[in-house]
Formats: sequence, structure tokens, C-alpha cells
Amino acid sequence: MSSTFEPVILGFLCNWCAYAGGDLAGVSRLQYPTNMRAVRVMCSGMVHPDLVIDAFGQGADGVIIMG
Amino acid sequence: MNIQLHTLSEVTGFNGRPGHFTVTVQKHPRYIDMDKCIACGLCAEKCPKKVPDEFNMGLNKRKAAYIKYGQAVPLKYVIDGQACIYLTRGKCRACEKFCPTGAINFEDKGETVQLQVGSVILAPGYKPFDPTGWDFYGYGQISDVVTSLEYERLLSAGGPHMGHLVRPSDETEPRSVAWIQCVGSRNTNNCDNGYCSSVCCMYAIKQTLITAEHAGAHSIQQTVFYMDMRSPGKEFERYYENAKTRGIRFLRSRPHTILPGPGGNGVCMRYVTEDGAVHDENFDMAVLSVGLAPAPESRQLAATFGIDLDPYGFAQSANLSPVNSSRAGVFVTGAFQAPKAIPRSVTQASAAAAAAAEALHAVRGTLTRRKSYPVEINVHGQAPRIGVFVCSCGINIAGVVDVKAVAEHARTLPHVVLVENNLFTCSVDTQDQIAARVREHQLNRIVIAACTPRTHEPLFQDTLREAGLNGYLIEMANIRNQNSWVHQREPAAATAKAKDQVRMAVAKAALADPLETLTVQVDPKALVIGGGVAGLTAALGLAEQGYATVLLEKSAQLGGNARRIAFTAKGEAVQPWLEHLVAQVRNHPAIEVLTEARMKTAQGSVGHFVSDIDVNGHVRTIHYGAAVLATGAAESCPNEYLYGQDERVLTQLALDRRFDTDPDAFAGDGSIAFIQCVGSRDAQRPYCSRICCTHTMRSAIALRERHPHINVYVLFRDIRTYGKREALYQRARELGVVFIRYTRDRKPHVTADADSLSVACTDPILQMPLVLKVDHLVLAAAIEPNATEELVSIYKCGINADGFLNEAHPKLRPVDLAVDGLFVCGMANYPQPIEESLAQAQAAVARACVLLSQQEMQLDAIKSMVTDRCDGCALCLDVCPYRAIRLVEAVGQNGSTTRRVATDPALCKGCGLCAATCPKGGIFVQGFTPDQLRAQVTAALQVVNE
Amino acid sequence: MIDIRIGQLAQTFDVHRNTIGNWIKSGRLRAVSTVGKRYLIEKEEMIRFCMSAGIPLQRIAALTGSDVPPSPSERPIIPSPIKREVRMSAKPIGAVMVVGGGIAGIQASLDLANSGYAVHLVERSAGIGGAMAQLDKTYPTNDCAM
Repeated sequence: MSSTFEPVILGFLCNWCAYAGGDLAGVSRLQYPTNMRAVRVMCSGMVHPDLVIDAFGQGADGVIIMG
Repeated sequence: MNIQLHTLSEVTGFNGRPGHFTVTVQKHPRYIDMDKCIACGLCAEKCPKKVPDEFNMGLNKRKAAYIKYGQAVPLKYVIDGQACIYLTRGKCRACEKFCPTGAINFEDKGETVQLQVGSVILAPGYKPFDPTGWDFYGYGQISDVVTSLEYERLLSAGGPHMGHLVRPSDETEPRSVAWIQCVGSRNTNNCDNGYCSSVCCMYAIKQTLITAEHAGAHSIQQTVFYMDMRSPGKEFERYYENAKTRGIRFLRSRPHTILPGPGGNGVCMRYVTEDGAVHDENFDMAVLSVGLAPAPESRQLAATFGIDLDPYGFAQSANLSPVNSSRAGVFVTGAFQAPKAIPRSVTQASAAAAAAAEALHAVRGTLTRRKSYPVEINVHGQAPRIGVFVCSCGINIAGVVDVKAVAEHARTLPHVVLVENNLFTCSVDTQDQIAARVREHQLNRIVIAACTPRTHEPLFQDTLREAGLNGYLIEMANIRNQNSWVHQREPAAATAKAKDQVRMAVAKAALADPLETLTVQVDPKALVIGGGVAGLTAALGLAEQGYATVLLEKSAQLGGNARRIAFTAKGEAVQPWLEHLVAQVRNHPAIEVLTEARMKTAQGSVGHFVSDIDVNGHVRTIHYGAAVLATGAAESCPNEYLYGQDERVLTQLALDRRFDTDPDAFAGDGSIAFIQCVGSRDAQRPYCSRICCTHTMRSAIALRERHPHINVYVLFRDIRTYGKREALYQRARELGVVFIRYTRDRKPHVTADADSLSVACTDPILQMPLVLKVDHLVLAAAIEPNATEELVSIYKCGINADGFLNEAHPKLRPVDLAVDGLFVCGMANYPQPIEESLAQAQAAVARACVLLSQQEMQLDAIKSMVTDRCDGCALCLDVCPYRAIRLVEAVGQNGSTTRRVATDPALCKGCGLCAATCPKGGIFVQGFTPDQLRAQVTAALQVVNE
Repeated sequence: MIDIRIGQLAQTFDVHRNTIGNWIKSGRLRAVSTVGKRYLIEKEEMIRFCMSAGIPLQRIAALTGSDVPPSPSERPIIPSPIKREVRMSAKPIGAVMVVGGGIAGIQASLDLANSGYAVHLVERSAGIGGAMAQLDKTYPTNDCAM
């Protein structure tokens, strides 16, 4: 693997905590890498296993479920 | 929209009569136009002036142009007129040059307004006690001595070190921390604060537990120096016990001197333990658990409003009307009334709301507004025509993300017919513009690439509705908070991410369907279960606000425990008041009292419940929109200390009964002993019963005042006379009541002979065994909840391990039950004195009125939906946290039965646990359908697959 | 005339010294100030005021140095738990002012606004949230205070 590898990570973020935390990170100007693409969900428990498999199947390097 | 916020404002004048007050409010200048400020923070960034940040207790600096903290409400900057270089020295105006919206207004002079109101609620709060000048604790001289609020900021992720715990002197991680309790509380020597601040024991325990979490791998030695550990609240005792098992050291001692530690870092503390030994110990940090003191401005406030303050400077109020001030129409609440923790403040605030509203209920809704919208355009079956609006947010987004490139990208996406870039998409003129574009281009889906939907989606939903579109046809791409602000150094990567975000939003929006917000008709009637003081007060409050109320009591009599109580802690006579209260309830035209009544069933949900009630053998059906559960609690029957075997051993209520009927019933006694915590704080009932210490103080004082010759002994574990009740403990000691501490593993031992009772114990100061010969022994028996299993199973509400009804949220919704439409008050929730039960009852009234005052209730449309694919396997039933799903059977045309789940939209919160559990796509959440989520995933990963 | 210190008055009525001052300023208690934070009060005025405050007769007697005739009409008033609506000449105003934008003020405002009353929330500082916003976590659940 080359050192320039940039993983594509799909994130499922709970609206009430992780997504809110993401917003707060913005207000606080905390800097972090750009690799994650966030999908807002109403609860991390809403994420169906099929969806995670789907994501990997379509080429995601990682999936993070935050809630 | 019916709350008008006046920030930077003070009340300077007040007159009128209840229902018709005129209040003069002085509004100080903000120097920033609230309508123009978009909270981009440039003014603060460019401001050259730094001042100590009071929000972080001065531990770091802020600018003269600032917001208090990141989540401030209103999220609008302010210029500190005392610090601003231009306003103090006439030069600078840097912020004005950089503000992208021209919001800075140095000409702001503030204004004075006169407001007409019917009632007033005063909640100015408290100020933390300032230990500056107490040289023996070294605060202000030794940098590693901090107050508990400073320590709180050090622990906080939003604090000066972003949650990295370091001590101030050298910014290293402390290995040992000591807390000193009761700094500025229970102290009439160095200050005038004879009261207990009620919250410091618990927050100190909390800080130790959070500190342990921060410590990670290496442990931090933690010691709490205390006088009495006061954890008399729900789940508080378990919290304390938990802290003890985590190795936190609790030492009953009051350090008398703090000196600088070795090398000028940390502290050296000298203290004496109970056995008389003097210890010197070094700690890396000392935390002073400072108390709650009346805010300095509350004296001025009291003078302006003409209300009375108590000797400490808190608002004066009676125990039997806990939120009424000395002036009619003016109500007091929160820590202004007495030091109290958050749940009690929230409860009392709701109580004050109920009291303030009661006199005004005839004019309810006369000054409030409701918005009306045009009829919705039916977009069903139309091909998506998506409009994308990319916001520059001044330079907040455009400074990092190439918004033009993002807009160009958006144009290439399927279904997109219009793309615009706005300087500020949220501004009023852009809102009008969006509405115009919807009409011009027949847009039927909107994507806004801007900030976070958590704060701005409601605004854009509103714009859509004004343009005649369903509010759920919008999708936001969060390219500010979760992009430009957090990737400031990577503009190219940020732009690529923004394109992905917009593509994901467009993909989801294309599949969006208009959603119908469900409305529930509200039955404007209430049910109150329990006829003690809490239930009576709740029923009367609801009826006074105009709602027909049914009061259910299982026994034949109203009044509950209060019938056996002569006086409140403040000495107010309970019986005449109770008689009056019962008569008011009995005679109220809007209240129906059902005694000897039991609930049998309850169907329906919030807004429309139906119950069968068994009234003395006859079944009645009643309809109601909300219910208040006030089932109460009772003094338990002790099973130790010879109770029931020797008639000289009494419970507190038995003592009261004899003493109240004949004040000289104990005149012949030489000695009387009280034993505290009988059946409380033990393995069977691991909670504190909260009221017994105060009760014993009252009894002991009454006995000593009436019969100075009687020796009164109190055997206790911790004296928990919280708040202003501490004055009773002090009075008891002044009257010569002898207090002897015992521990749970060395309980007193009671034996009896014909002449007297012998109570054997160990004196912890003398370290000697003691035997007290007494004529009567009074047991402070635990308070246990009345049986509620039946009700709990009918309503499916929760109880804690001790059998008390559980509130929906211990801090923020202290009188709501987890089941919507149900409320709790009184001792059914936790043991508490009359004044707290009354406040909770009034709070339950306020909370129920929020519900009952709506003719119909709008529910959020984000709900689960059952599809044809459901085969009734019922896997989702168990995972639903709101019990909103049930299994139904339907008979088909060919006579075969099919099973399928059905959801109750009134209970569903749209969490989607059911959707994730379902193996066959039989249930999903509207607005977050599997197709939509999959479309987002596919859109996000498109780059990988290209 | 009774010569009495303000501190003693505050103790008797269990209120703050400033409150005594407010009573005198507003005319609720008629008293004349003299040197050394002392006040001169007519004996009859003192008795009347003590009785309206529900002070026991023995203590009034001790304070005024004279016996007080117990009169049944002057019995301390039982505070009613919730005051009945007072008849007004005009309809009251359907708005409430809440002073203080901490957690208590916010909760009171929300409850009132959500049940049909206009609310004016007055806050001294630039934003609401009060002391709770400064807390990191809350007991006993360790929930975030924000």
C-alpha cells in the first residue's frame, strides 16, 4: 500500500449525539481529516447491517457508526 | 416564537397589580445587530483585545467581541463595552472592517422599554461562593488551589485545556487531588452562610468519578474531606457508594490549613481525623467545593419588585406555597428561592409557570401567535425537479470550499434543474428568493448546501411551507460545520468533500416524499391518581386552569400522609391548611373525586386515554388527555431495635401523634434517643429517605423547648439537613441535643428492662463504648413507595430498583414519565417533604397544561411505517424502546388470517431500531427509508467507483 | 415608642435586613430611623405588624414589653396552597415576564409559551443558559450538561 493511500470512510451519525458532536467540532474549529462522508440517521440503531455490507460492496474502505 | 428574549437587560422599574403589571426593562447595547450577525466569528478573530473569559472562570482569555460559548443562545456575538478598545479609547473598529454582513453598530445606545405582563417569575439564580481572602485555604495565593467551578471547567471538553486535566501551576497532570467540602456553606464563622448548599457533596462525587475517567491508565489518588456526606436524592446514594468502591477516599475531617506544596507546586494540607491525630499530606491539587450564594443583584431585584428575602438573602417563601413570593403575582423559583440542584430547579420552574398561568388562564392564547401556511402543492407522482442552493456563508464556507465548483458540480447531477450560489442562504431576502424560484421553476425538491440541519432545517422547512411545498421535501448538505470549519487547511479536499455531500443530498432528496404530520386530538381533561397533598394540589391546579379533572383515591379519605403531620419544617400548621385544601378540591365544580377507587385498564396514548375505574365495586369509564400519578409513599415498619416488641420504641410518626395530642406526654421522661437511617441506606433499601433528618430535628427541638430537662440523643450516620433546613440542625445543637455518629457496620444495640431501654453504641470522638439509658427510643423509619406494580403494568411506565416511579429524564424532565402524557409528583417519585411535593405537583400541572392547552397536537412526521413485506415475525416488538409496535391479526378475504405489526405513531419516535432489526424490509422510517440511505451510500462512493 | 435594632427585627421576622429596609421605605412598616441602625416604632404599630406576620403572642409580648390581648379576628392567616383568582375590573394581560435566563428561567418560559402565554425572558448577560452551561457533566447520570 502506498503512503498516499486515502481511505474512503462512510459514517452513520446519530442525529442527537454524534452528528451534534460533529457540528460542535465545527463551532470549535477542531481540524480533522476529510476522509469521512457522513450520513445523518435518527439513531445509530437505525443502520441496517445490509447497508453496511452494501457500503463495503461499493468500495468503502471503512464504515463508522457513531451514536 | 412566543418567547421574546431580552438579553443584556435589567429590570429597573415595576408597578401595578396582579394581572396588570408594568415592568421597565433597560436594554444595554450589544453593538452587534442581532438580525445581521451570522455568528461567523470573524469579529472575535480580528479583535485585538483579550480579557479573562468569565465563562471559563478566568482560566483563559476571550476577545472583547465574543460569544459566551460555542452553543450560546442566541448564537450572536456581542462586544464587551468595558473592554472594547474603540469604545474605551476611541480607536480600532477592526471588527467593523471584517464583518461580512455589516452587523457591527458602535452607535448602539441600548434602550428602555416598558412591558405589560400579567405575572412575573423571578429566577435570577445564584453566584458561586468566592473564597478569596480566606488565607487558610490559600485560594488566590496558591495556584493549585481552585474552586470547584474552575475545576469543572478544567474537566470540560469546552474548557481552557479542552478537557485535558492539568493543574494550573505547571500544567502537568495531577496524580492526587483533594476536595474540601462546605466552603462557604454551613459556616457562620468566616461568612454568614449558615445554610447547606445542597449540591456540593454530589458534585464533588461527580468530579471524582469524572476525574477517574480522565486519568485513564494511571490512577489519580482522590480524597474528599467532608463534614456529613449529603446524598439525599434519587439514585444519589448509589452514586456515592459506587464512588467508594472505585477507591475514592472519603475522610470525615475539615482541613484547617493549606500551604504551598514542595517546590511551590501542589499543596500541603494539615488536617485532624476523628481520633484526634494530626496529619500533614501533600496533594497535587486542592479543589474547594464552594457553595451557592445569593446573587449580589438579587437584593436590588427584591427591592425593585418589593418582595421579601430570607436572612441569607434568598427569596422568602412559605413551605405550603413554595413558589409564591411575599407579593401577589410575583413568583420565585430556582436557586434564588433556596440552594438546590438542577432537577429541583427545573421542577420548581414548572411550578412557578403553573402558578403564574393560573391567574391568567382566562386570557390564555390572547397574546400568542400561530403561523398559517398556503395549501400544499401535491407533488405526488411528479418527477423530481431539484433546486440546489449553495451558501457561501460570507467567507465561512467560501473561504475554504470553492463554492462555484460545488455549484457547477451540482448542475451535472440528475434531476437538478436550478443551482444558485448565495452569500447567505439563511438571510430573509434569500428565503423570499427561494420561495420565488420554487414558483418560477416548479421546483419540488430543495437541497440547501450550507450549515447544519440541526439548527437551520426548521427555518428552511418553514420557507418551503410558505412556498406551498411540504416541509419534508428539503435536504441539507452540511458543508460548513462538518466541512469548511473543520478542514480549514485543506481547501481542495474540502471542496471534493462538499461535492460529495451535495451529491449525497441530491440523491436522497430525489427520493423524498411529502410527509404528513400527524395530528392528535387532545381531550382537555385530566386524571390524577392519589389523594395525598401532591394529588390534591395537582387536581386543584388543573381544575383552576380550566380542565375537568377526576381525582382517584384508593382509600376512603383524602389527605394521605399529611393527615399525620402537624407542622412543616418552617413551623406552619399543616392541619388547617389541609382541611382547606381538601374542601377546595371537594367543592370545586371542575373536580370529580372518586374515593375507594382503583384503575383497572388504560388504553390509548398521549392526548386521548381511556380507562376503566373500579369505584367501590362499580366500573366507570373515563376519557382524559393526560394523567398525573401521585401514588405516594409511606413510613415503613422497622424490623430492628425492638420495634414491635417494646412499646417504648416508636417511629417518628407515632412520636408526633402522641406529642401533638398531648404535649406533656413525655414530661416524665429523663432521656429520649433517636436512631436515624432505620431501614434506609442499607442493603435492602440502598437509598436515603431524605426527610427523616429534618423530621428528627423538629421533634428534638420541640422536645427540648417544651421539656428542657429531657436529655435528647440523636444517633446518626450523616446528618442530611440540606438547604435552609441546616438552621434546624444548628438550633438543635444550640438547645443541647447530643449527636452521636454510628456506622453501618457498627449499628447501635438496643436492650430493654423494666426501667429503661439501653442503647449501646461507640462514640467516635472518644473512641469509647457508650450505653445510653433512655425512656423512649424513636426510630427514623425508612420511607417506602406504595405499591404501584399494577399501575406500572397498565401504563407500561418504569420504576427504579427501589420501586419509585422513574421520570423521563432525571435533570431536564423531572416530572414527566417516559410514557408521553403521564406525569409524576410527590413521594411516588422519591421521598420528599411537603414543600417539594407541592412544587412537584404544581410542576406536573404546568407540564400537563402544555399538553392539554393544545386542541390538537402536531407530531413529527419522522415515524416508522409498516410495508407489505411484513410477515408478522414480531422481531421488532422486543427492540422498540417506546413500545410503539404491536402485533395485529387480520382475516383475509379467503378466510386465512395474516399477522402483521402495527405502529402507534403517537408513541413512535422514529429511531428506526425496528428497521435495522427487520430481516425483510417490512418496516422503515419515513424520511430515512432504506432506499434513501442506500442512495446516499451509493452517491458517497461514486468517486471510488469512477 | 419601641427602640429596636434592624438586625433584631430581621431575626424576629426571619427575613433579610434589606427586606426590613424595603418594608420601611415602602410604608408597610411605619418606623423612624435613628442613630446606629436603630429604629423607633410605635408600640401599636409593632403589635399590628407582628400579628399580621403571624408571630406568636408571647414573642410579641416579649418584644414590645406589654401584654397583647388575644383577639380571635387577628388569627394568623392560613396560606392557601394556590391563591384563588382575584376578581379584576379588567381582563388580565396574557403575558408573563421571566427574569433570569438560567435553567429555571428557561424551563418556566418554555412551559408558559407552550401553553398559550406570551413570555418576556429578561437576561442580564449576552446569552441564556446560566450556570448549568458551565458544568461539564451532571450527577447522578454523568450526562453532559449541554
